[in-house]
Amino acid sequence: MKRTVDVIWINLLLLSLASFLIGKFELSNISIFIILLISIFIKGELVIDYFMGLKDVDWRYRSIPILWLVIILLLIFIAYYLPEQS
Amino acid sequence: MIQSKAIKKQYPPGDFAIWIVIYIELITFGLFFIGYAFSRRLNVDMFNNSQLLLDKNSGFIDTLLLLTSSYFIVKAIQNIKDKTLTIKKANEIASKWLFSAIGFGSIFLINKLLEFSNLFEHGITLSTNTFFMFYLLLTMFHFMHVCLGIVILIAIFKQTKLYSYTSNECSGLETGASYWHLIDLLWIVLFSLVYIIR
Repeated sequence: MKRTVDVIWINLLLLSLASFLIGKFELSNISIFIILLISIFIKGELVIDYFMGLKDVDWRYRSIPILWLVIILLLIFIAYYLPEQS
Repeated sequence: MIQSKAIKKQYPPGDFAIWIVIYIELITFGLFFIGYAFSRRLNVDMFNNSQLLLDKNSGFIDTLLLLTSSYFIVKAIQNIKDKTLTIKKANEIASKWLFSAIGFGSIFLINKLLEFSNLFEHGITLSTNTFFMFYLLLTMFHFMHVCLGIVILIAIFKQTKLYSYTSNECSGLETGASYWHLIDLLWIVLFSLVYIIR
C-alpha cells in the first residue's frame, strides 16, 4: 500500500505533464480532446480512490464523486463538441 | 479463513460532516465548470484567444504543487497508521510531511498571486470578457479554498507536534486531509478545462 501511493503520485505527475505538453503545443482536435477528458477522469479517479481513500469504502460514498466527475466530463464534451457539428 | 476481498469500510475517512461539505463543494464547482463550458459555445474564438493569455507554465507548476502536497498528506496519514512506529515517532514523521504539504500549498498561493498580479497589470479584470470573468471567479474561489485548507493543515500540524494522533485516533487528521484532497481534485478539472482544453 505504501508503494502504491508513490506509484499513484508519479502517474498523476506524468499525466499532468502530458496534459501540459498538449496545451503547450496548442493541439486541438476531437481525438486530443477525448484523450484530455480521459486523462482528467483517470487523474480524478486516482485522487478519489487512493488519496481520498474511498477505494475501500461503501460504494454509495465512493460513487458520488465518481459520478460527479463523469457527469461534468460528459457535459464538457457535449458543450465543446456540439458547436463543431453546426 | 482466507478472505479473497477486502472488507469495505462503512463510512469514508474523517468526520462525516466534512463529506457533506465536500459533496456540496463538488456541486458548486461543477456548476461553475458547466457554466464555463456552455458559455464558451457562444464565443469560441474569444475564449480560445483569451486562453492564450494565460500562463500555462504557471498553471502546470500549480498542478505539480497541489498533487505533491496531497501526496505528502497521504504519507503523513500512512505514518500515523503505521502500528510498527511509536506514537511519538509516527507524529514526528507525520509533522514533517505536513510541514512540506503546507509549504507546497503556500508556494501555490504565492504563484497564484503572481499570476493574478500579472493579469491585473495587463488591465485584465472580471469585466474584460466572459472568459476572464469565469477564469477569475473560478481561480479566486479555488484560491480561497486553498487558504482555508492551509489553515486546517496548520491546525493538524500543531496537533502532530502535541503527539495527538494514534493509528486508531486520527479522525481530525483524516478530516483535514479529505478537504485538501478535494481542493486537489477540483484543481485537476479546473487546470485542464481553463488552461489546456481548446
